[in-house]
Amino acid sequence: MVNLVEFFVEIGKLKGMPRKGWVIRDIKNPESIAEHIFRVTIMAWILAAVKKDSLNIEKIIKMALIHDLCEVYAGDTTPYDSILPKDKKKRAALLKTWPRFSIEEREKLAKQKFIKENKALDKVTLSLPIKVRKEIKKLWLDYEKGLSREARFFRQTDRMESLFQAAEYWKKYKKPAQKPLWIWAEELFDDPVLLELSEVLGKRFYK
Amino acid sequence: MTDKQTYYLTEEGFKSIKQEYETLEKMRASKVKGEVPKIWESEDLNPDFLSFQEDMELLETRLIELENVLKNVKIIKTPSRNEKNNVQLGAIVTLQIDKKEVDELKIVGTLEANPSLGKISNESPVGRALLGHAIGDEVVVSSPIKTIYKIKKIRYS
Repeated sequence: MVNLVEFFVEIGKLKGMPRKGWVIRDIKNPESIAEHIFRVTIMAWILAAVKKDSLNIEKIIKMALIHDLCEVYAGDTTPYDSILPKDKKKRAALLKTWPRFSIEEREKLAKQKFIKENKALDKVTLSLPIKVRKEIKKLWLDYEKGLSREARFFRQTDRMESLFQAAEYWKKYKKPAQKPLWIWAEELFDDPVLLELSEVLGKRFYK
Repeated sequence: MTDKQTYYLTEEGFKSIKQEYETLEKMRASKVKGEVPKIWESEDLNPDFLSFQEDMELLETRLIELENVLKNVKIIKTPSRNEKNNVQLGAIVTLQIDKKEVDELKIVGTLEANPSLGKISNESPVGRALLGHAIGDEVVVSSPIKTIYKIKKIRYS
């Protein structure tokens, strides 16, 4: 039980960790990583249930719950991290665009992120019983690599939650710039349910 | 869990899936015999395989997934000379976005899609919009914010 207490204390830190994507965009009181996990889990469950082709909902819910656990130690990463200028004006200008990299740079960044997060996940789950630790690792690898249909669906749902949050901040603060987030979504979403949802979301917030 | 959808794969993607399937099958056979396969001793070993080494269930699940893909695969053929002037599945398209940034995106089937690596699905809004267009065309994606993609170059690997 001592080990479990340590684990629950560690993952509780996600409640106090603001999501970096909003921090760099100067959003006041940005949501925490745990808040993102809460809504994306509900979304994943409901949207998977709405889909006509059957998906393993229990697997998706578990995947949603654990997908960002590594961030306790690895922190939150954004696509802008490697190129973010310190100068405020330059930073604001960059955040109005979607960052573009060469294929080599993309592969390098993805590899670095994977190695860092993989180590962090091992560290955060170290005190758990081996069986559940393995299950978490398996779900995370599946998600990271998009190995199963559930993982590929959840990867898109994860981005959809960020799109909802961005739209809500836009309504409240008139920032952040929405375009880069929508470009990101339009290059990623290909699931019919998520495509339909994004259309309705767009009408709801940007009419 | 399996499904009957058709998976469009580039030649490269098909080879990679087939190779992964064969490697994992060898792993499974070795594990059943209680042996340590030589590939695990290689320094170039894909880190993904290490988790398969540790977890038989993950290996089995992945093998079922790959079997399903290989059963329902359709390989994207290189288009004819005339068709190469248009964006088809498998095309690598150089784009100028909103008259500013330039990017290179490959149009692939859903299984190979990974926008972080510049591979976008033919069923995504951008992928769908680009299909069938030629060099010089401007493609507008506006759901709900308008973005203009100008096609600068089309090539096939």
